[in-house]
Amino acid sequence: MELFTPIYFLPCLYAFVGCVGFAISFNIHGQEIPISALGGAVGWLVYLLSAPLLDNEVEQYFVAAIALAAYCEIMARIRKCPATSYLLISIFPLVPGAGIYYTMEHAVHGENERFLLQGMHTLALAGALALGILLVTSAMRMWTLFHRRHPLRSRWH
Amino acid sequence: MLIDPDQLLDLTSELGFRLMCTGAEIYRVEESIQYVLRAYGVHTGEVFAIPNCVIVSLTDPSGHASTRVRRIPAHGTDISLLESYNEFCREITHTPIPVPDALARMDAIQTRHFVYPFPVLLLAYLVGGGFYSLFFGGTLRDGLCGAVCGVAIGLCLWVMDYLRANSFIRTLAGGAVAALCALVLVDTGLGDNMDFITIGALMILVPGIAFTNALRDIMAGDLISGTNKAVEALLIATAIALGTGFVLSAAQRL
Repeated sequence: MELFTPIYFLPCLYAFVGCVGFAISFNIHGQEIPISALGGAVGWLVYLLSAPLLDNEVEQYFVAAIALAAYCEIMARIRKCPATSYLLISIFPLVPGAGIYYTMEHAVHGENERFLLQGMHTLALAGALALGILLVTSAMRMWTLFHRRHPLRSRWH
Repeated sequence: MLIDPDQLLDLTSELGFRLMCTGAEIYRVEESIQYVLRAYGVHTGEVFAIPNCVIVSLTDPSGHASTRVRRIPAHGTDISLLESYNEFCREITHTPIPVPDALARMDAIQTRHFVYPFPVLLLAYLVGGGFYSLFFGGTLRDGLCGAVCGVAIGLCLWVMDYLRANSFIRTLAGGAVAALCALVLVDTGLGDNMDFITIGALMILVPGIAFTNALRDIMAGDLISGTNKAVEALLIATAIALGTGFVLSAAQRL
């Protein structure tokens, strides 16, 4: 299986274990910990798998955000929990922390052009991430409203 | 159910206050309060929430209007508490119980609530920092150094919370400590790549979902909440960059 080659498997494993740590730091308990951490691995796997199909990182981020938001929304429906609690953790591998760091590094070294480029790129990644997630959550919200049978019960995520 | 408007205001404003303090999104707080008001038979109630304030107002049958304003202090995110209050809210919306009972149940949720002890939290930072250093491409030794930096950030955040520093200073200090640790570890030859170690540990501080939530509010037309949170997310990102940048440029001079 191609999926279990180290280039795909290892980063996803690292993302998963790292997310378990962050899940605890946000006071998530019990079974929700592995579920939310798995979302992080799912997002990163989609990001890696989409690399040959899409030519730039921003599009990859967008696709990965859609996949991980869909995962979180489905899990939220199954577990009857707010989707936010899963999203909060699953998003971590995709948060452009590296972008913030390299932007700062260019600024410190006085490389203005690279600083601006990296800064814009980081903002674009954050935007793609937010847009992908919002697309899925809004679609899900409309879908629930459409299928609403118990007006007061089913509107919560 | 006929109910005293003052009591209902107490309940809804307290619920809104507590939900906000767990880090719930604005729309969740506003919707929850609206559903509770409706469940108790009040259709003339209004609620307005922004990140640091909740206002609930309602008019009783005689035409007299009352309002409660609650200011929201600086708070973190506690997902398990958020889920408990969300569940509680669903229940009282489904079957309204007398207000004093509802208030007592909220207090019970607060006292029964379990928070991980500090050593477990440090362990979580250790795992988080270490594995994200590996994730960003670091070697095994970078992973170990990232774990050390994660713990250093955890300790630094604890000191900052003890000193009641605001979130900007808190993040700035966290970033500086992470960069300083990484610098020392790489200098002594324990770590290989300064950047992977720092980035891994910095993941503890990044704004994460805050930017997404801000954009959600803006798109929904809650411009005050949205811009408020977007600025907050940018400010935290800037604090991270400033904290690490300060240490890096100081190291360059030496």
